[in-house]
Amino acid sequence: MIGPGTGMLGEDGIHIDMNHLKSGEVNLGTSIMAINFKDGVILGADSRTTTGAYIANRVTDKLTQVHDTIWCCRSGSAADTQAVADIVQYHLGMYGIMNNEPPTTQTAAALFQELCYDNKDQLSAGIIIAGYDKRNGGQVYSIPLGGSLHKGPYAIAGSGSTYIYGFCDAHWKEGMTEEEGVQFVKDALREAIKWDGSSGGVIRLVVLTAQGAQRHLYLPDQDYRGPGYK
Amino acid sequence: MTSIGTGYDLSNSVFSPDGRNFQVEYAVKAVENGGTSIGIRTKHGVVLACEKIISSKLLKPGANLRISTVDRHAGVVTSGLLPDGRHLISRARDEASSWRQTYKGPIPVHALASRMGGYVQAYTLYSSVRPFGVTAILGGWDSEAELGVDGQVGFGPSVGAGGKLEDEVVKRGGPGLYMIEPSGLYWGYYGAATGKGRQAAKAELEKLDLASPTCSLSLKDAVMEAARIIYVAHEDSKDKEFELEMTWISTLDGPTKGQHQQVPQELLEEAEKAAKKSLEGDDDEEEEEEEGDAMQE
Amino acid sequence: MPGFDFSNYNRNAALHARGVPLPKATSTGTTIVGCIFDNGVVIAADTRATSGPIVADKNCEKLHYISPNIWCAGAGTAADTEFTTALISSNLELHALSTGRTPRVVTVMTLLKQHLFRYQGHIGAYLVVAGVDPTGIGLFTVHAHGSTDKLPYVTMGSGSLAAMAVFESTWKRDCTKEEAIKVCSEAILAGIFNDLGSGSNVDVCVIEKDKPTQLLRNYFKPNERVKKERDYKFARGTTAVLNEKVITKEEIGRYVTVHELSSGSDSDSLVVVEKMDVDEV
Repeated sequence: MIGPGTGMLGEDGIHIDMNHLKSGEVNLGTSIMAINFKDGVILGADSRTTTGAYIANRVTDKLTQVHDTIWCCRSGSAADTQAVADIVQYHLGMYGIMNNEPPTTQTAAALFQELCYDNKDQLSAGIIIAGYDKRNGGQVYSIPLGGSLHKGPYAIAGSGSTYIYGFCDAHWKEGMTEEEGVQFVKDALREAIKWDGSSGGVIRLVVLTAQGAQRHLYLPDQDYRGPGYK
Repeated sequence: MTSIGTGYDLSNSVFSPDGRNFQVEYAVKAVENGGTSIGIRTKHGVVLACEKIISSKLLKPGANLRISTVDRHAGVVTSGLLPDGRHLISRARDEASSWRQTYKGPIPVHALASRMGGYVQAYTLYSSVRPFGVTAILGGWDSEAELGVDGQVGFGPSVGAGGKLEDEVVKRGGPGLYMIEPSGLYWGYYGAATGKGRQAAKAELEKLDLASPTCSLSLKDAVMEAARIIYVAHEDSKDKEFELEMTWISTLDGPTKGQHQQVPQELLEEAEKAAKKSLEGDDDEEEEEEEGDAMQE
Repeated sequence: MPGFDFSNYNRNAALHARGVPLPKATSTGTTIVGCIFDNGVVIAADTRATSGPIVADKNCEKLHYISPNIWCAGAGTAADTEFTTALISSNLELHALSTGRTPRVVTVMTLLKQHLFRYQGHIGAYLVVAGVDPTGIGLFTVHAHGSTDKLPYVTMGSGSLAAMAVFESTWKRDCTKEEAIKVCSEAILAGIFNDLGSGSNVDVCVIEKDKPTQLLRNYFKPNERVKKERDYKFARGTTAVLNEKVITKEEIGRYVTVHELSSGSDSDSLVVVEKMDVDEV
């Protein structure tokens, strides 16, 4: 491998080193996802933050608000994703004031992508952006490591997501109700947490609809059944 | 001009005791001598038109365009000092492209107007520069489609984005028409006119009743009216020859698909012909025209 | 040019490549903790500073002042925690003066994370930020790379695992000041006794709403040095005198130059302790 790069070319294709974090860096070994449903979007995440083998925070909130109804799920380096989210939050705040209308989810996705692509050599950040507005409805965007931007009906990311590609593909339905959507996200994350050692703790959800943002919390000691939304 | 000789008109950064900036007022004079420009905003799109005075017989007809495209969905026409207009348009293009670079999408017309207004206003503040000797009319169309992000891969759900409120979706996108003056002042208009024939043009525009929610003017009607109004406005300077130039921007399902384009040659000629005809019989048809307006109400 | 000078790093890397061991920074292998209570927040720290296997300071201070109602506990590179907290404290005071408001804990946390993120982990400061402000009680951890967490109880440093074990087994929500001080100091003791990098005493800082902040320096001293139970001194006369010879000044003057020092009574005269004779040319 040449230099401190994050990827290398092997005989069987390109390999990306997902664990190239600087020593001692706080990592969001993570399971995150966001989905579109009938009335908007749902974001979901586990709550485990690790430094090596140690769980630095077992109740982390990886669902971060960047504007009124635009949120993101963070995975990768905690420092990098917090910094990127903080910068985007600042820009969206300014956008809202300067243009006298709230930014769209597309605007947020564009800003995230610009930061993630331009600084791809410095960052290890995998971010899902999900937002709702009355005109454009719910939108889900995903920005993986290289800084490309993908729009989809749903997005999964983080180390735990590898275990649930099959689950999501098999169980995904378009135009789910809120209840079905919450169940889908919760079941998928339960599965990811079960198989991925770097994911765990509680399941946090955010439901974004015309009614605004609503948080849900599901605890492992209640078998991820409750307490539900607060 | 009572201000001459008082010294308060020599510099941009100096106010007169009664709170006026004479340099800006002189810039307005420059505009008032320029060729007439107008803009018409309808539900179906925007039409920009201008009276291009032919300063030499050696100029190629149809060349040297006066209405510029600033971005795919927006155009600008100016009256006054043409090089000043060119500079402002160049800035508007920069603003539109810088917006695309940051937000990966087209600049909303109101945001472009605001950026242009801000730029023009800055030229009224410093003694090292002079104000713009132009008034610009900006016309554009904010897409009513669900826009993605430039460079994105993939689409949303096949059933479309969840939770859209239909009565809100109708409000998405639409026409925009703004006029930016040498002071940096800008307003949004249903119909805008500037240059030498602005008074006559404004009187004609007002008759169109563009502000009414029941206004039934189609985009083609607007083109016909725009041509006629430019011809009406030219009446006072009949001795000079002029060329009519027109551009338009329609809805996504209209003739220009949300883009700023030249009005097609056939339509331009048709409009010009109708305009000339309406002027020929002006004296006799005046009353008839009035009746026609009354019927539209 | 403002900022860090990395030339010593290059020098050390070059020396290291030729077999010279790298110099060691004083690192506070540390236990630091924090815990909120009903009316404020408590932070605590041990007092051992280490330099590799050596205890560099047996009673150092790891609780740093930020503002009267905001304090920081620092782990990592001692110099970095010291200077980073001092810098942010200074900037915060200027900010407070210009805004005319009492500073907030989130402001401190944000200033720290942005500063540390800019230096991409090269500033080895791991901090617990705690305080009360007009918006309420604040308790955060800030890692060297710039990530932050907000929790009701926190631990950091090499002893954080031992300390967290104490919190996870004994912490209760809605605790009183006394309970918070107890759980924090016990968490530090767990670090002192179970972590090689931590040791000596317990420092505690109590920040309470509408009350002056209390810095309880050496709240516990579980490692006090006591008089040795046995004395290893040899009694006078243990060594036998086989013979005795006195050499006088005159005798030794034959071999070396002897200068007479003025007696104590003649205080005006300059006392020349050492003088060198130089050959005249």
